[in-house]
Amino acid sequence: METLAWLVLILPLAGSLISALGFRALPARAPAVIGTAAIAGAFACTIGVLVKLQDLDAEHRQVVFVAWDYAQTAGVDAKLSILIDPLSVFMMLVVTGVSTLIHLYSATYMKGDRGYARFFSYLNFFVFSMLVLVMAGNFFLLVVGWAFVGAASYLLISYWYRRTTATTAGLKAFVINVVGDVGLVLGTYFIFRHSGTLDFLGTFETAGSQPEGSLTAGCILLLVGAFAKSAQIPLHTWLPDAMEGPTPVSALIHAATMVTAGVYLIARMWPLFEQAPAAADVGAIAGCVTLLVAGTIGLVVTDLKRVIAYSTMSQIGYMIMAVSAGAYAAGLFHLMTHAFFKALLFMAAGSVIAAMAGEQSLDKMGGFRKAMPFTFGCFVIGGLALAGIPPFSGFFSKDEIITLVGERGGWHYALYTAAYVGSFLTAVYTWRMIFRAFWGKAVPEAEELEHGHLHHAEEHRNPATGELEDTDVGFPGPEHHIAERSAAMKVAMGLLAVGAIVGGLLQIPLGGTDVVDTFLEPTFEGSQYAHLHASDGFTTLSLIIGTVLAVGGIAVAYYIWVLKPGLSAQIQARFSGLHRLFANKWYFDELIELVIVRPFSWFGRFGQQTFERVVVDGTFVGGTTLVVRAGSAAVRALQSGLLRAYAALLVLGLVAVVFYFLLQS
Amino acid sequence: MAIGWYLAVSAIVFSIGAGGVLTRRNPLVTLLCLELMLNAANLALIAFSRMHGNGDGQVFAIIVMVVAACEVTVGLGVIVAMHRRGLIIDVDELRELHG
Amino acid sequence: MTIHLSILLALPLFGAVVGAIWGGRGGRWFALGGSLLALGYAIVAVARFKSGDGLQFVTDETWIAALGVHWKLGIDGLNLFLVLLTTVLFSACTLWAVLGKEDRPTLFYFWFGAAHSAVLGALLAQDLLLFVLFFDLMLVPFFFLTGMYGTTTRADRIRAITKLFIYTLVGSLLMLAAAIATAVLSKGDSSLSFVFSDLAARGGLSSGSQDWIFLFFAAAFLVKMPAFPLHGWMPDGYMSMPLPVLAVFSGVLSKVAAYGFLRVALPLFPEGAQRFQTLLLLIALASILYGSAMAFTTTQTRLILGYSSIAQLGFIVLGIFSLRADGAQGALLQTVNHGIVVAPAFFIVALLAARVGGSEDLRDMGGLAFRAPVLAVMFLIVALANLAMPGSSNFAGEFLILLGVFQAKAAIAVVAFTGVAMASVYTLRLFIRSMHNRVASDAQSREMTLADGLVLVPLVLCIIALALYPQLALDRSEPSVKATLGAQATPALAATEVGR
Repeated sequence: METLAWLVLILPLAGSLISALGFRALPARAPAVIGTAAIAGAFACTIGVLVKLQDLDAEHRQVVFVAWDYAQTAGVDAKLSILIDPLSVFMMLVVTGVSTLIHLYSATYMKGDRGYARFFSYLNFFVFSMLVLVMAGNFFLLVVGWAFVGAASYLLISYWYRRTTATTAGLKAFVINVVGDVGLVLGTYFIFRHSGTLDFLGTFETAGSQPEGSLTAGCILLLVGAFAKSAQIPLHTWLPDAMEGPTPVSALIHAATMVTAGVYLIARMWPLFEQAPAAADVGAIAGCVTLLVAGTIGLVVTDLKRVIAYSTMSQIGYMIMAVSAGAYAAGLFHLMTHAFFKALLFMAAGSVIAAMAGEQSLDKMGGFRKAMPFTFGCFVIGGLALAGIPPFSGFFSKDEIITLVGERGGWHYALYTAAYVGSFLTAVYTWRMIFRAFWGKAVPEAEELEHGHLHHAEEHRNPATGELEDTDVGFPGPEHHIAERSAAMKVAMGLLAVGAIVGGLLQIPLGGTDVVDTFLEPTFEGSQYAHLHASDGFTTLSLIIGTVLAVGGIAVAYYIWVLKPGLSAQIQARFSGLHRLFANKWYFDELIELVIVRPFSWFGRFGQQTFERVVVDGTFVGGTTLVVRAGSAAVRALQSGLLRAYAALLVLGLVAVVFYFLLQS
Repeated sequence: MAIGWYLAVSAIVFSIGAGGVLTRRNPLVTLLCLELMLNAANLALIAFSRMHGNGDGQVFAIIVMVVAACEVTVGLGVIVAMHRRGLIIDVDELRELHG
Repeated sequence: MTIHLSILLALPLFGAVVGAIWGGRGGRWFALGGSLLALGYAIVAVARFKSGDGLQFVTDETWIAALGVHWKLGIDGLNLFLVLLTTVLFSACTLWAVLGKEDRPTLFYFWFGAAHSAVLGALLAQDLLLFVLFFDLMLVPFFFLTGMYGTTTRADRIRAITKLFIYTLVGSLLMLAAAIATAVLSKGDSSLSFVFSDLAARGGLSSGSQDWIFLFFAAAFLVKMPAFPLHGWMPDGYMSMPLPVLAVFSGVLSKVAAYGFLRVALPLFPEGAQRFQTLLLLIALASILYGSAMAFTTTQTRLILGYSSIAQLGFIVLGIFSLRADGAQGALLQTVNHGIVVAPAFFIVALLAARVGGSEDLRDMGGLAFRAPVLAVMFLIVALANLAMPGSSNFAGEFLILLGVFQAKAAIAVVAFTGVAMASVYTLRLFIRSMHNRVASDAQSREMTLADGLVLVPLVLCIIALALYPQLALDRSEPSVKATLGAQATPALAATEVGR
């Protein structure tokens, strides 16, 4: 098992290095093959690990492998150690499985791009980082994986690096992720202070004996890390901007893997969070707020990818809420189903964007239903799963979360209610997107496609700024690829669509199946919420509410955007204040600009222009050199060069000496 | 005769020499006055030598005379060289050493 | 073969002198040879170093008997990797100067070799007066290197280097006075001695005199680093130095000051160090915040690196004055890390400048990654290491430093974390604005040459190697760091031991 586990890490890294180092020597299409094969190999190895892990007794399904001591000194025990247990294997399966399909999709989708090798090198590196994150056996390696993922996402977001918007978005993502890293490291310090070890298992053993204040502080700081990576309020602003990256990147990072890291973190740290209930409550509330806020923004955004991005934020809110409230398996189950249907939606969106030759605005789309039947089908499947229509996968996972949160009782009923509001919003904004892109009058691009001709833009413009694109470095490539015309893309999307349809069957409530629960049980064995189960009546009630709200949401969307096309404008005019608030994303960007960015740059400028010149250069350096100069000037004045003056001094000195001795005697 | 008188003469000659060095601007005169100072010291050395009754002081005096001779030779040579080049012969003008 | 440190010390100077006598274009190869031999010698020393054996390869001769000054050289855990770093960086910079297009006179290489020897002397010295001597001697070659071959106009660079010289020498003067006072005051009944081990063993300084002596030493070290607000010489000095010179100046000389704290200030004046711990932590904190904010606003690439060095050295001081083994271990690791990162960063600045017509201003750069993927990757690795990306050795260093400070004074560590976040902003800003975005009007993107790679690639490989296995350095320095801190009151250390 040890070899297999390390291979899971090594294969993506090797793939990344080979693509990177061999970019001149390799044939043009080789990076895609290497990259996809590496991840597929990692997936196969993960399955091997899974099989071997299941062979062990339930109590022993927690294995640690150490490669070498990394920084072990003065009481700090940072090793390169990985922890294999059901939770990490679960995450590995999701990450490698979905990533394989995304690689497959990219192999065609990015064909026209100049930086093909670079792209696959980054992509493989990203998967490697994500695997480090989920396999880490101690806090140190966790932070390393955490930051690698941040760096990889930076590289991928600013992949088209001639776009100023892309580089800015990349920088933003990186910096917010560093804030998360800082939170994570500080949280680690708080916990380490009393546990004395960085090792996960060792730390969890001491969880009960940690002083509560310190542990709560530590856990809240861990949450900062989780929020930054999972785009929860108030550290979410990077996620919508990150849509500047190529679409497969959005699918990989912003749907399937990276943003779920926060969920994984909280689930992994459950022994600590259960000892610090205040911190867990903070997580649950923040998740709940995020799912509502993101849902409202999703209603008004017009950029196709950004709608899906806000929907991601909202769905991650559900997961964070779930794992913070103790519904670990439910949160992770939703993580898995979400990975399927959200990656599917992003891929389908990529196909539509390709048909639009790079244009992303919903305002300019319409009527693609006939032109792109396969993409349309994928969109519908993804949309139904996301909205939570039975028997699609999202239905089971989302409703399990909501039910279990409600089961906690007390103020959790507020979360329960809010989650249902969110699920209604989800249905509305998802189907708004689908109706606007696929229904209605066919736009010229769609008509062109119906006649078998893929639209080709004469000149490419940045959808965000209207700036002319620089196609020298590849963007967006001379040719575009849609799913209808590529077998690889079809396979990738088809497999995900199957996952999105049947994924929910792993865990059917009311005595159906509970594969995920059983599999994860060894990890969450000691938890006080391990046996949190809703009564059949409550579950049935919740399932009915969920279905009604989802269907209702789709109906509302159909009414507004298909039946009465003018209605949305009227609503906008009626609630213009609210619309402006949503369209400006609740003014979070402006707030951060005002509170953090401006004071810092003001401080920097003040330092540069005033303080540096007056105090540092003037007072300190100027003062010191002035004293030295004045001293040397005084000494220099004596060196008149006048021979007779020297002689006189000599004589005077002699006389002084003589006098001294005379007086002494 | 008491040694005091010798020393008195020596001191007076030394002072005259020192005064000359300090006040005169002609290097020739300065050299002469330096010579006076040296000889004042010689006088004192010889007086002490006689008082102690051994030759140590006289040895010193002879060495001083040798050094003085060398010094005058070099000094006069420098002055003559300066004169040949048409430089002004005035110690106050030679101020290249000022800081 | 036994290791003679005097040979190590003399090799670069010897090469430089032979080169200067040889003259002409051939002379430089002797200087390069001297540096490379020293590098090889240092590698042998590292390989033979036995962790935990205290001072090794000792040379001890009486130098000035009357004053008790010894020619005593030795290597222990504190200076082992700094010596290696010094030889690596000097060799790399000499190689770069030799291979560069610019034709530099033989005298340039002579001064370069002299600087190399002087820095090695300061690191190897095990005698306080010898240390002070070499510490001041280090500066002399840089005076000539900058004054004669600087990049700004003659008047500017002379003014800049004079300022640097005077400012740092005032600090050194304080240090000299303090050094003499240390030896005299701790003399007691025995004879005068400047040897570190004697001074530490005697330890007869009253706490009152420890205070001012410690402050004098601290002032000298902080100026040299430089730390806020004593960094006034930095902007002018950095703008004036030729880049190979600047790379070693920034990479090595500032580290000698940090090393001075560990070698001199902590073991000899434990009470002083403890009394002023908070003051120095605050100075370090101010350096971090101020350096980061400055690096965030300036557009001169050199100054971005310069101010970022101020911030990085702030972290190092922070670690040292946590007065705990973990913090000091991190600080020592970080001195090596920062040196090995900042030197290639300056090389890259030179390569960037060559692509935009000589300007080093960020506003004139952009889009340089296009035809230079290898250069871009090198730059990216260096940049990520500079911002202490987890997984780099810099992160291991910062992690230990901040952990130490956190356990000593939690509030200061929390504030210091803003520096970590800001480092990512200014470093990536440097990377993005030079390599990415639209191509600037005068910019020409082209790949680096083989000669550039010959210098840059080994340094980047060093960064990667350290990133994979920082334990290599930590293992060897741990006993010495603990011994250095042993003079401090031990509760903090004891707590760590219990914690294990």
